[in-house]
Amino acid sequence: MKADGVLFHAKHAFMPNSLGYCGPDERGQIQRDLEGNRSDEELVQILQKFEAAYPFLKLIARSAGKEVFDYSVPEAYWIGNRLLDSVPVSDFYSFSHHEIKGRDPNKVREVFKRLDGVAPPHHTFYVMSTYATTAAPDGPNVTNEAKRKIAEVVDNCRISWGVVSNVGKDELQVLARRVNVDNGGLFLTRPAVKRVRYNSEVRPFRTVREGDVVSIHWGYACDVLTPRQAKNIARYTSVDISLVNRLMKFEASRR
Amino acid sequence: MCVTRAGKVVSTSQGRARVEFFDGRALDDVDVSVVNAKKGAFVEVFGNLALGLLSPAEAKRRKQAWTEVAKAVGAARD
Repeated sequence: MKADGVLFHAKHAFMPNSLGYCGPDERGQIQRDLEGNRSDEELVQILQKFEAAYPFLKLIARSAGKEVFDYSVPEAYWIGNRLLDSVPVSDFYSFSHHEIKGRDPNKVREVFKRLDGVAPPHHTFYVMSTYATTAAPDGPNVTNEAKRKIAEVVDNCRISWGVVSNVGKDELQVLARRVNVDNGGLFLTRPAVKRVRYNSEVRPFRTVREGDVVSIHWGYACDVLTPRQAKNIARYTSVDISLVNRLMKFEASRR
Repeated sequence: MCVTRAGKVVSTSQGRARVEFFDGRALDDVDVSVVNAKKGAFVEVFGNLALGLLSPAEAKRRKQAWTEVAKAVGAARD
C-alpha cells in the first residue's frame, strides 16, 4: 500500500462522498484520516467501496503494472498523466460494460463507437461523457436556468483547478475557469474569481498561499498541485472536452 | 466521484424530490426541475440533478444491468 496514493485519492473522493453521491457513508472517518494524515487499512477499505472510483483505479493500475494506490494511479484518474495512455481502449470498453454499475450498455457502446477508439479512463471524461449521453434536454427550448444548472453540476463533478488569489480561514479565493454549456457543446470560460472551501487541517493546506494551484471538487479544494500536475489537468481536460463535444454533435444530429 | 444513478421519484416538493435508487440508496434533495419529473417517474441523476427521464422499460433494463454488474462484482470479491 502506498500512503501518499491513498491520501491523494481520499482527498479527491471526500466531498462527493460527504454529499452522499458515492461511496459508503463514511464522511467522518475519511475526514479524520485526512486531518491526521493517516492512510491505514481502514481508510483503504472505505475507498475500496466506492462504486466507480475504485474500479477505475484498478483498471489503470493493471494496465500500467502498478499497485492500485501507487500515487501515479489516482493521479492519472483524477488529474491525468501518461498512465492513461497505457490503458488499451478494448480494456476500457470491457470495463465499462462489466465493472461499472448502472451505466446503460447501449450508451457505453455508442460512446466508444463514436470516438473511434479514443477514450481516456479519466474522471473528467467519465463525468462529461455521462452528461453528453444522458437524455438531458438541450435543444433550443431549454431555458437558461436549466442550462445553468446542467453546467453547474458538470463543473462541480469534474475536477477543476484554480490559482489561489486570497487565503481565508475556511475559504480560498481562486481564479478558475468554469465549464459552460452552449451551442451544443462544452467549453471553458475565461478565468473568474470563485470561492472554494478548504480544510487547513489537511496537509498541505496549512501552508497554502497565493499563487498555488489547487484541485477542486464540488466547491472544495482537494490538494495543492505541482506545476506538472497543473499542466496535466489543463491538457487532459482539454482533450476530454474535445472528445465529448464530438459525442454531443452526434447526439444532437440524432434528435 | 459522482456516478449516474437511476431511480424512482417517490415524493416531490417545489422542484426537489426524494429519489430511491436501484442500488438501494436514496437522496432527499434531488433537483428534478430540469426534467420536470413527477412522483412515480424514473430519472437518471447525476450528483443531485436529474438529467434525464427513463421510460419504465428503460428503467427495468437499467435495474437489471445494475443487478448483474453488482452480482459479478460481488462474486469477484468473494
